[in-house]
Amino acid sequence: MVQITINGKQIEVPEGTTVLRAAESAGVYIPRLCDHEELTPYGGCRLCIVEVQGVRVPMASCTLPVSNGMVVNTETEALKKSRKFILSMLFSERNHFCPFCQVSGGDCELQNAAYHEEMTHWPIQPGWNNFVVDTSHPYFVLDNNRCILCRRCVRACAEMAGNFTLSVAERGAKSMIVADTDVPLGESTCIKCGSCVQVCPTGAIIDRTSAYQMHDKDLTEVKSICNGCSVGCSVKLMIRDNRIVRIEGDWDGSVNHGVLCEFGRYNAINETRKRITTPLMKKNGKFEPVSWEEALKAVSAKLKPLASDKDGIAAIASTRLSAEALTAFKDLFAGSKVVTSLEEGMPTAATVQFAQKQGSFEGKLDVLRTADTVLCFGADIAPTHMVAGFMFKRNMTKGTRLINIDPEESELDELANLSLKPKAGSDLALIQGLQAVIVKEGLERRPMAIPDADARIEAAVRTTGVSLEQLTQTARTLANSITPVILFGKGITAQRDDCLVEELYKLAVLVGIIDSERSGLISIKGLSNSLTAALLGLDQIFKLNGQKAVYAAIGDERVTPSLVERVSKAPYLVVQASYESQLTEQADVVLPVAVWSEQEGHYINLDGRVRTTTKAITAPETVRDNLTVLSDLAAQMNISLESSWKEAILARKSSVALN
Amino acid sequence: MNKPKIASDWICGCAGCHMSLLDMDERILKVLELVDLRATPITDLKEPDESGGDVGILEGGINNSANEEVAHKMRKRAKILVALGDCAVFGGVPAMRNFCGIEAALKRAYVEAESNEPGSQIPNDPELATMTKTRAVQEVVPVDYNVPGCPPDADTIFYVLAELAQGRKPEIKEELLHWH
Repeated sequence: MVQITINGKQIEVPEGTTVLRAAESAGVYIPRLCDHEELTPYGGCRLCIVEVQGVRVPMASCTLPVSNGMVVNTETEALKKSRKFILSMLFSERNHFCPFCQVSGGDCELQNAAYHEEMTHWPIQPGWNNFVVDTSHPYFVLDNNRCILCRRCVRACAEMAGNFTLSVAERGAKSMIVADTDVPLGESTCIKCGSCVQVCPTGAIIDRTSAYQMHDKDLTEVKSICNGCSVGCSVKLMIRDNRIVRIEGDWDGSVNHGVLCEFGRYNAINETRKRITTPLMKKNGKFEPVSWEEALKAVSAKLKPLASDKDGIAAIASTRLSAEALTAFKDLFAGSKVVTSLEEGMPTAATVQFAQKQGSFEGKLDVLRTADTVLCFGADIAPTHMVAGFMFKRNMTKGTRLINIDPEESELDELANLSLKPKAGSDLALIQGLQAVIVKEGLERRPMAIPDADARIEAAVRTTGVSLEQLTQTARTLANSITPVILFGKGITAQRDDCLVEELYKLAVLVGIIDSERSGLISIKGLSNSLTAALLGLDQIFKLNGQKAVYAAIGDERVTPSLVERVSKAPYLVVQASYESQLTEQADVVLPVAVWSEQEGHYINLDGRVRTTTKAITAPETVRDNLTVLSDLAAQMNISLESSWKEAILARKSSVALN
Repeated sequence: MNKPKIASDWICGCAGCHMSLLDMDERILKVLELVDLRATPITDLKEPDESGGDVGILEGGINNSANEEVAHKMRKRAKILVALGDCAVFGGVPAMRNFCGIEAALKRAYVEAESNEPGSQIPNDPELATMTKTRAVQEVVPVDYNVPGCPPDADTIFYVLAELAQGRKPEIKEELLHWH
């Protein structure tokens, strides 16, 4: 600990703390603009200057580490004068006219800083220069007129998303925030995560959908969990009048620490599908709105006689439903043979199957933050599990290596230090080849007998089409790493072969992953509750075999053409869904349900974190939540749904420890 | 004791700041007890007293030669000049014009606007004032007190007038200070 004095107050803070944070911990507010708690200190705006005894000039407190015996003053007359001057310069540089700015009136850190210094005017008028307004992006607008060059967006792009799209062109007064090599944002490498919007202190980067609608003080903030993919990011839903105005990453979120992907931030807000608000029944080939009572009676009359027939009903549910709803769904159709989820276990079945032998073996997501090598095996996480990708992409400029193994074209190829393209179906040979190289070269961390190492290496090269050089290089990189992480995805799991997972596990053992808390073998899984669905056994292939009825609990999920095609011949189709789709068109009865933000429930993410989503807005009156619909139908069919989801998921061993 | 003479005028603004002044409701009577309200857009007298006054208030920025004249006259005839509202203090909304240029702004308003009759022209009567860049009052004449806000609250205006009327220096801060 280090002793320092701030404004006459003696405090103790850990070594390495900056003066700005130390002051904060002592309850002393130092004005700042470029500083942001989640970003590396930059020292650009100079507003956080303080006087340090024995130092001739004021120092930027955001980049100044404390030292023992330091005496700091933050509120001298000279500092106040300097801060006013700094702000005057900032205001004179661009065009910060408040009356027509979206953040004016409470949400602008620049304006608030001026109020803090009691500025009634700009001592230096701006130069009336026109700066570029870039409106090419689908989700936000970059207005350089309002930019103070604090570079928070540049740092967020690099340090949060690991995307390095934003940077600063030119020098001095000509400095400008640009995308890539100064191309329009909409045509740039931007992955639309919106982190820059979330950190911008002024109205320079504004959100298209929520801009000019209301101030933050008029919004209610509701914390929840994103139900996109299995990463399970913490989100803040900003609500007004029962409407989501904006979604932000929750800085306190244990998984994502504030960052989100395009889906998490923009999907719910830009929803364009048509909502179903009343139960519908097909009468004479046309849908007619009916009461819930009539709809449930009709469905029950049809399903009840089939419920005890193994081949009577085929049921399929979205892996985006809550654990409670999935458990009720499973119990409701317990008498049927085909009860599964939309993902059909493609991202989970092999992993969970191996766990029945091995117990939980997967690592935690946090190891990705400190990984020195990441091996992605059949896991194109860029489009599907973007935030997991951010966790190591941001470290690649600091030396983290990426090895991508995927027979398919993948967005990670361009980024990867090593990109292997084995022939489809040759994964087993490749994994065994890697094991063999490691053992042959004596790089293994735990002894393991690999018979005929040479033959395996040769077989790997022959079968996979990967060169010996690439194979060796991959094995060496992985084995020589201190904190390697192996991520695997559908490329491995969709083959539904737990042997592949077992061989990957052996590889992980060889390179020391399993024995280290700082490493991990992680399966990325699928949608928000895909692990829960797998633990409930909802992971078989959805194959119709003469079933007389199909029940599809889709929720707010998008429907694939393949599913529509597969149920097209069902004699009787019930669809429980929020939005109109090709599937609901085919249905005999449609039961309208709440969407993600309108209901609460439990979700288990890919590394076993059990959390709940929050009911942030109220669903239309005639719509019921997924669990209620399943319970109401069960009551109508005289089926008891007594199991608790917490017990139900214990039927199978999880591949990752739950907490 | 003679009550301090106060005059006001609006130039390149929207009259909103004067509306806000009226928004102080019955407190305006208290102000009248303290001051002698002379020429204002809401009184009959239209020009600040030639013999001079104590406080001059200007709403709006300066965007043509006529505005310049008003500003100079007000400055000359007032001991204390107050710039009232964002347009007077910063240039405000009319300053948006500076980014596209006078020509483009006039063309948009008089020729291209959807409400114009076909064949409408930009007025070019030589009697009209000459357009300039939109500026804050302080860019043209020295200002003693800047009272920002779009508009400033009635509370702020009341406080400023009351302080000035009683010979004190208003300090605009905390709740009274905003630029929006």
